[in-house]
Amino acid sequence: MPPLSRNETIKGESRFLRGTISRGLENVVTGALAEDDTQLTKFHGIYQQDDRDLRPERARKRMEKAYIFMARLRVPGGALTPRQWLAMTDLARTRANGTLRLTTRQTIQLHGIIKSNLRPTIQGIHAVLLDTMAACGDDNRNVIATPFPTSPVHAEVLATARAISAHLRPRSHAWHEIFIDGTPLTPPEQEEEPILGRTYLPRKFKIAIAIPPLNDVDVFAHELGLIAIAGEGRIAAYNVVVGGGMGMTHGEPDTFPRTGDLIGSITPGQVLALAEQVVTVQRDWGDRSDRKHARLKYTIERYGLDPFKAELERRLGFSLAPARPYHFTRSGDPTGWLVGQDGNAHYCLFVENGRISDRPGRALLSGLAEIASFHEGRFFITPNQNLLIADVSPSQRPRLEATLSAHGFDHGPSVLRRNAMACVALPTCGLALAESERYLPTLLDALEEIAASAGLAKDEITIRMTGCPNGCARPYLAEIGLVGVRPGIYNLYLGGAFDGTRLSKLYRRELSHDGILGALRPLFATYSADRRPGERFSDFVIRTFVVRPTTAGNRFHEDLSPDLAAA
Amino acid sequence: MTPPPNVLRASPFAEDQLQLIERLLREASPEQVQWLSGYLAGFQAASRAKEPAASAAVAARPRVPLTILYASESGNGEALARAARKEAQRSGFAPTLLDMADTAPERLPPGDLVVIASTWGEGDPPQRAEPFMAALLAPGAPRQEGRRFAVLALGDRAYANFCATGRMLDSRLAELGAERIAPLEECDLDYAAAARAWTTATLAAFAPRESATEAAVIRVDFSRAAAEPDESPPRFEAELTERQLLSSSRSSSEVWHLELTHETRDLAWEPGDSVAFAPRNDPALVSAVLEAAGLVGEDPLRPALADRYDITTLTAPQLSAYAALTATPPLPPSFLEGRQLIDLLEAAPARLTPGELTGLLRPLPPRLYSVASAPEAGAIHLLVSAVRWQSHGHARNGVASVDLVARRNAGERLLFTLRPNPHFRLPADPGCPIIMIGPGTGLAPFRAFLQRREAAGAGGKNWLFFGARNFTHDFLYQLEIQDWLSSGVLTRASLAFSRDQPEKIYVQHRMWEAREELWRWLEDGAVLYVCGDAKAMARDVHATLLSIISDATRCDAEGAAVWLRSAIADGRYKRDVY
Repeated sequence: MPPLSRNETIKGESRFLRGTISRGLENVVTGALAEDDTQLTKFHGIYQQDDRDLRPERARKRMEKAYIFMARLRVPGGALTPRQWLAMTDLARTRANGTLRLTTRQTIQLHGIIKSNLRPTIQGIHAVLLDTMAACGDDNRNVIATPFPTSPVHAEVLATARAISAHLRPRSHAWHEIFIDGTPLTPPEQEEEPILGRTYLPRKFKIAIAIPPLNDVDVFAHELGLIAIAGEGRIAAYNVVVGGGMGMTHGEPDTFPRTGDLIGSITPGQVLALAEQVVTVQRDWGDRSDRKHARLKYTIERYGLDPFKAELERRLGFSLAPARPYHFTRSGDPTGWLVGQDGNAHYCLFVENGRISDRPGRALLSGLAEIASFHEGRFFITPNQNLLIADVSPSQRPRLEATLSAHGFDHGPSVLRRNAMACVALPTCGLALAESERYLPTLLDALEEIAASAGLAKDEITIRMTGCPNGCARPYLAEIGLVGVRPGIYNLYLGGAFDGTRLSKLYRRELSHDGILGALRPLFATYSADRRPGERFSDFVIRTFVVRPTTAGNRFHEDLSPDLAAA
Repeated sequence: MTPPPNVLRASPFAEDQLQLIERLLREASPEQVQWLSGYLAGFQAASRAKEPAASAAVAARPRVPLTILYASESGNGEALARAARKEAQRSGFAPTLLDMADTAPERLPPGDLVVIASTWGEGDPPQRAEPFMAALLAPGAPRQEGRRFAVLALGDRAYANFCATGRMLDSRLAELGAERIAPLEECDLDYAAAARAWTTATLAAFAPRESATEAAVIRVDFSRAAAEPDESPPRFEAELTERQLLSSSRSSSEVWHLELTHETRDLAWEPGDSVAFAPRNDPALVSAVLEAAGLVGEDPLRPALADRYDITTLTAPQLSAYAALTATPPLPPSFLEGRQLIDLLEAAPARLTPGELTGLLRPLPPRLYSVASAPEAGAIHLLVSAVRWQSHGHARNGVASVDLVARRNAGERLLFTLRPNPHFRLPADPGCPIIMIGPGTGLAPFRAFLQRREAAGAGGKNWLFFGARNFTHDFLYQLEIQDWLSSGVLTRASLAFSRDQPEKIYVQHRMWEAREELWRWLEDGAVLYVCGDAKAMARDVHATLLSIISDATRCDAEGAAVWLRSAIADGRYKRDVY
């Protein structure tokens, strides 16, 4: 048997995720934690990073790297109260870099927290009944779910997301002990992790619940996807999708994004048992020697889907029912005002790349804080990094609109921009090979021009960019995917379905800004001229043989055009 | 040049001779005065050679005891006191030199007293002289009947309470019954010539009058004084070999690390010493001043304005002198707030002659920097905070700091004077624990301390308190401090970053948090050092120390003050603040 990966030893010796984090927090001369502890803090929702913009100058200045931490909330279904929103705004201003980052996992990231501010930040989160447990790490990450209350089953889906999250959460008291109370609540020796195990999962584990016809959660991109099948105002069943995942590594063809497999359906009452057993099969079968092949998608590739399903059903003690019919129309958010059956309205605010900050002329952070001070409904972070201001009573609507416009909110982003998203990347993400969030807006300026001159100004095309191949913005499920290779250079993927049901395919390698525009300009022109009625851009490029369709994750690197395959 | 009137009045010249001298000196440029003093020295030496009997007469006289007491902050007062002692020796006195820091009113030797006292900051006595001043001003201070005295006060007219310490000494000594033998002499930054003249005249006034004919003729050997370099601190040239911005590019401040290499042999400095840098004014400001004074094209004036005159500070006397010169209504004192010379010239434009302009100006003083390295490091390191600010629509720059960090080039040779700081040295015992409180550039001497203690393998424990605005952007020498902690040279580091969190945290807060440990160190004989900002930091640290002492010894504020005063007297609480 190949040796266990280093992380397995760290987890095993961590006394249920404690390590020496507390001692590290008290060492005042360094902004960093001990190296092994930086693996453990992920289980507590905290990533040690450094400001990469400052790296070149630090050694000359006799300073260590500019260490900063990112803290990510656990917010099942993305639901926050106005009071919680205000508390996060306050923490962003006093303890972090003055911004809130909404993410594709429907959560908030606080960036740029220095070590001395970590405990106060986590305590501030705890004070409004939130936490950061398992928001990163080898565990079940934030459970996401379609957040639109316009659906009659939304409340039930949200409750389910919360129940799953609570059920799979680590049982260790380390988070409270390290960040909140300071003293052990129970001796670590007496703790147990009945579901996750004492070395936790081999790798991250993601769960999403979609309410058709929206596939905003990209239900095929997670370890476990549940598709809510509505019947008579209640959920009749959930279709079960397993083995999806985005990440891969450039130049390593045995790593690939994979859309999950639909393996049947269950009743709502079976959800917790199902989620638990998918986790335990992965816990026991997943690869613990090579973290690049440790996610459930590789476990299923290695064992085969049928043996996996058989083991799952054995552990469940029942068989899955046949999958129910469902229909997805899109993965992007409907933005603007939406009105529910109860007469309450919901405003879906487009937030470019999920970044909420105060900039000259556009004070998003302050504006939303003001709204939170009078808003009586809820906030939902959407899986497309937007913000849904939910349950706005008719009487509050004018005030909300006035506040929005007073703070310079952008009501009219182009159709292209509304359907675009980028991951965080530089300067905080340690994995980034190229810019993403800081560059996509500039690229979109140019693409908007090209699209408009091709007559596509009103057409929805999904565009997603990431700074590395790990896929946080789910680029392989976009119609146009751009994945960073090195500074200023991106691989271009085409053909991902508009509704998130089909992966894309590599179209051009290593393009610069001009290269991207040069590649897309002729495609936009022919799409505009030659498309069939209602034909999506991704379907058009496949029909016209620009790229071949990716029918399964393990075919992602196959069927490339001959010149690419040779390279 | 305006001759110091008090001195002239005490001189042996007749009234008409005095008028001639006064007129000559008023119209003379500094160079002319300097030339004249050299000429007179030579003239005197030549005449003495012909009259050996006169010198012999001086030598034959019995030596008269004289106490020269000084209170010095930056070393200027001390240097003048040493010069006065030399001169007194030559003039037949038996002088005793006393630092106010080392004595008390009741311990002063009886007899004649010369006092040279600096004023510091907004009108305070030099810190080390504080206990003496407090005792002298206290209700029970010893009476001074039977004592004759004269006070030379050093100050800076840019501050409101000009020469406050000297004034206070002068009036208090008289109040206590001492006889004022010469009027108080108040000197601004251009004190050198006035102080020299005052010293001569004062010594003459103290000299015993043996006969009417020889009254007060004291021979002063200027030529010998000039030939004795040991009286002035060593000057040296050094090459700027490295300059690195230490604070991050995102810092709200701008702190530079400078390295200077020199070839001066025997340039021995000790950790804790400073160097004085002779800065050059910003050429752009020189041009602006010339233009504002209607002196465009007066290029010969440029070098003097650049190197010799203070063209930034604006003082109340300058306002009135300028008004008199230009026959314009004087600007109110409130005009001074945040303003500089250029603002005056622009506010009340007038065409000046070169002599009128330089006549308004004070000499450009050198700036002191604590050496941030021990000699073992091989070079002189300086930690320089570049001072830049805005006021009244002008961007202003610190004269010396911005000169050093922005206008001088690597490889350039700069002129420095070594300023020993004997009151701020490591304890002689290498095993003695030390506590160093040095936020901001106050860290400089402690880096030298730690380098020395590391090189010497000193066994004493070392505790550093450092602070700044932001951990990420202002933690000076972070990697070195980490290394010293892991190698054990530093026993403990306590850090305070004021802007990292909503509440402001400063070094004194960290001291208070660690008060029990800090008190244990003090009880174990630790020497506590403070370096850095005087106005807020040193004051707050001092107050916190008092609280810590009260807390630990369960005594009241007065008890704590007594404890701390005795720590100062024992050399266990040392401050170098500015």
